[in-house]
This record gives sequence, C-alpha cells and structure tokens, in this order.
Amino acid sequence: MKRRQVLAAGCACCASMIAPRTWAQTTPDYSAPQRFQRPDIASDEGGLWAMMDREEKALRRSPLVLRDARLTGYVQDLACRLGDGHCPDIRIFLVRTPLFNASMAPNGMMQIWTGLLLRMENEAQLAAVIGHEIGHYLQRHSVDRLRDIKAKAAASQVLALFGLAGAIGQFAVMASTFAYGRDHEHEADRIGAYLMHRAGYQVAESAVVWNNLLDETRAREGNETSETSPLFATHPAPPERRDNLARLAELLPGGTAGKDPFAAHTAHLIDEWLQDEIKRGQYAESLVLLSRRIKTGSNPKLMQYYRGEVHRLRGQTGDHDRALDDYQAAVAGDQPPPPAFRGIGLVARQRGQKQDARQAFARYLDLAPDAPDSALIKSYLAELDS
Amino acid sequence: MKNLLVLAIALLLTACASVKKVESGANLVGERMSINVDGNWNHFDFPGSKPAQVWTMEGITIDELLVYSGIRDGQVMHQESSAGSRQKDFAFRKTMQTEEIVSMLEGVLSRDGSTFKLLKLEPFAFGGKKGFRFEYERIRKIDNVQMRGVGFGAVDKEELFALVYQAPRLTFFPRHQSRIETIAKAVSIQ
Ligand SMILES: [Zn+2]
Repeated sequence: MKRRQVLAAGCACCASMIAPRTWAQTTPDYSAPQRFQRPDIASDEGGLWAMMDREEKALRRSPLVLRDARLTGYVQDLACRLGDGHCPDIRIFLVRTPLFNASMAPNGMMQIWTGLLLRMENEAQLAAVIGHEIGHYLQRHSVDRLRDIKAKAAASQVLALFGLAGAIGQFAVMASTFAYGRDHEHEADRIGAYLMHRAGYQVAESAVVWNNLLDETRAREGNETSETSPLFATHPAPPERRDNLARLAELLPGGTAGKDPFAAHTAHLIDEWLQDEIKRGQYAESLVLLSRRIKTGSNPKLMQYYRGEVHRLRGQTGDHDRALDDYQAAVAGDQPPPPAFRGIGLVARQRGQKQDARQAFARYLDLAPDAPDSALIKSYLAELDS
Repeated sequence: MKNLLVLAIALLLTACASVKKVESGANLVGERMSINVDGNWNHFDFPGSKPAQVWTMEGITIDELLVYSGIRDGQVMHQESSAGSRQKDFAFRKTMQTEEIVSMLEGVLSRDGSTFKLLKLEPFAFGGKKGFRFEYERIRKIDNVQMRGVGFGAVDKEELFALVYQAPRLTFFPRHQSRIETIAKAVSIQ
C-alpha cells in the first residue's frame, strides 16, 4: 500500500544512514547564518514554508503529539542551547510513533518521534540528533532538496497527476518525505557535532547513537545486508558515519553526557514507549535494545519484564525458558512490575504447571486488580481450580 | 504527507476497489463462519484487504468491520510486506494463546503507526466456541482520528475466526456498538 511506502520514506528521512567523507580530517568550525525571514509566498521556498505551516497547524491538534509540558520544555531548551540565535524560530513537537526519526522543516517545526527518544541514553545523544537537524535547517537543505526533486523525473508524474496548480504543493510534500542526499547528511553531522560541542556536550555520544542503531539493524537483517537493502540503496554504510563522528569527537574533546537529567525527564513515559515498541513486532531489534538497557539502563527490572514479553511473543524454541528467566529476574526484589507475574502465569499454564500458574495469576490480580485483562485471568484461575 | 495518502486512497478507491452490498440475514464468510446481519453493510474489496473481509456501514474511511474466517497456521494477517520492507509481518500460529492472538491483532492494527491501547480483555463464547472479546482505543496515524474498537475471536480446529470493529470514538462507535455486539453473539462456526 502507498501509505506504508510513505511512512517508510518518512522514517528514512534523518534516521537514514549516510557516511561523511573527508571533512572529519580538519577541525570543524561553523558560524550560523542570521535568522531567516519568511520567504516570498510566490517563490518555491515560500510555497514550501506555507505547506509546512499547514502541516504544523494539523500537528498542533494531533492527539499523537505528547502533551507533556515538562518534557517538551526540556527538549525545547536543549534545542535553544544548540540553535543559538535561532532559538525563537525552533518549535519542538514530540510525536508518539515508535520509530527512530527526527526532522526539521524550513519554517522551524521540529518533530521528534518517541521511538527515537526511547533509544536515547543521555542528553548528549539527544543533542547530537537535534544538532544534526538544526544543521539541515541552518543550511536550508530542504530547499535544495525541493529544487532537486523538481528537476527530476518525478516532476513529470506529479504534473500529470495534479496539473500545474497542484504540483507545487505536492513537491513540498515530497521534499518533506524524501531523504536528504549524502552531502547534506555530511554537512548536518559536522554542524551538529560543532553545535553540541559548543553547548558543552560530549561529541563522542553522537557516534554511540549510530553504533546502537547499527546493532539493532544488524540484528534485524542478521548481517550487513541492511546496508544494501533497498531502503538504504542510495546511502553509504552507517559504520562509516559512526566512525567519522568518532573522529570528529577526537577533534572536539570534552563535554558532558547528561544521563541523569535525561532519565529524570523521560522515566515516567518509558513504560508506554516500550509497549509501543513491542507492538512493532520487530523482536530482534527490541531484544538488542532491551538487553543493552538491562545492562546500563536506569530501570533494569522493567527492561527485563519487557524482554520477557518479547521472548514470549516471539515463541521460538527456548523462548519460553528465556521469558521465564526474564520474568523471574523482573519480580525479584522490591516493586516488581505486576504484568511480569502474568507472564509467569501464562508460560506456566501453557506448560501445564497448574500450581505455578495459579500462584502467579493470583499475585498479578492482587497487584493489578483493575488490569484490562483481569476478567480473562480470573477465568484462567477458575479453570485451574476446577 | 497526508495529501499523498489521500491521493493513494482516492486512486485505490477509483481504480481497483469493488463494493458489494452485504445481504441481510446469514452470510457465509469463508467455508465455516456464518454472520447474521441487518442494516446497510457494504463489503469493500480492494487489493491489500485480504485475508480479512472489510465491511463498512458509514464508509471505508469512517468505520470498518474486519472479518477473519478460517485463518490457518502460519498465515499472515494482512497484505504481506514487499521485499526489503522494514515492516514485520504478523502471522497466526495455531499454538497461540488468547493473549498472543490479541497481541498479534494489536500489532496488525498499529502496523501503520497508529497507537493501540487495550481497555478490556475477557472470555467470550464466539460462534459457540470458547473465545475472547476485547475493547481498545486507537489513534489512527493516517488522519489522527481517535477510534474505539471492539473485537471477538476464537480458534477452532486450528483455525482463527475473528471480528474486529472500529470507528471514531465520537458519534460513530457509540452509534453502532450494540449492533456489533448482536452480530458477534449470533456468529456461527460450523
Ligand atoms: Zn539528516
């Protein structure tokens, strides 16, 4: 279906993996342009802004935008520290979508998806992503991209479909969904690194973002094929991008990671984001993410519970044992996540271990009497008792 | 992005979709499931709708009743992704427990980036079989509409049978919910 392709293109935007070339050899430096004036509406750039204004108006009303003033304000402040003189023009929207993506439109609207936030380990990593997007914005890459797309074959198709009047709007839409070219990505990475360095963040964390993402991608594909899969066909290899960012970090040393402030602003939302993550059914990716968080994250019990869920839902040979191990680890100690008991009960019930199942279900209902599935679990208990 | 989606749907609807009225009374779907309906239901047949049948009262962009009949072990619950897609295919397995089936349906319904929140999951006799009923909320990604949904299902002879109805939470869902509950209670599986 078309809409899936569009969604895929949307996530390809800046999560896409592009390698820089030789600029990492020299110390990066950057001076931002003056704040932008609204372009003439009759120009192509003006048309692009108008299109994005309409998108933003819709986004403002969207129930998918997080209404968490504290977190949004925190990210907005971060963007302001990075964006320097352009702060008044940057407007942050956190969007509940479990994919790794961020984008910034030429009118100053920046979207960050919760699948990206879930994968951030500290403030510096988030600064790397936001700095990169601000880099695209400051260099007005979307306008280049718009002109590039217009010049290409797609133009004739769009013209045929919409006529001249509709075409400009459609170009703008396409410009917002298609990925940037590699030169643009190089430049945005370089500017992003410089901005985060100047704001006092560890540039090395930008390489960690890519490394983590690479681990997930490889788990999904089983090997390096992601780098040659159709989605990434026009893009160079992500390891190169990671390595170049690491080299940049050596040229821009120092700074902080900011793990605690980031955790403090996101801890209350992690549970919901993990639920969304698991519904994607991308078990291999989720396992990489969760295993990393069990080792290094601030809420390992919760991560352990979710890894148990992933194992149970994947249901391959040995997965029920793995799920049980995870659930057991999750419920050991204080404040166990209640659904971990349900997990234990479900596995035990399937194995015919009635006593264990009964105990675990009872504990679950005890801790979460109003759980959405309480009626079903009660019916299991009745069945186990009979 | 949204304009492209509207375009895609418009093309879909004009080019290759067919609409058939669903007759009042008993309708056999697949080989074994019979659904008794009254009122103005239309069966919308378009590429990508299989293996579900998609029925609607208000129009396909408003409400839909997804009818799954005789889904076999290993069968994918939606149009399969193209090669190289980053999307996961959700397939039914005959060994699935109720929770796993509902998780699979959650996955199917949030595959387009929509959110899904389970509100209730309970036992339900579906088609005379031991089955389940669930309620949920969903924010539809394509147009940000807040939906409500209700689903029913059972596994019989290693095949899955299910109905899932969803509509905008204001006006449309409340308008049709009792009709859907009546339909679900009257389903028969031979
Ligand atoms: Zn980018």
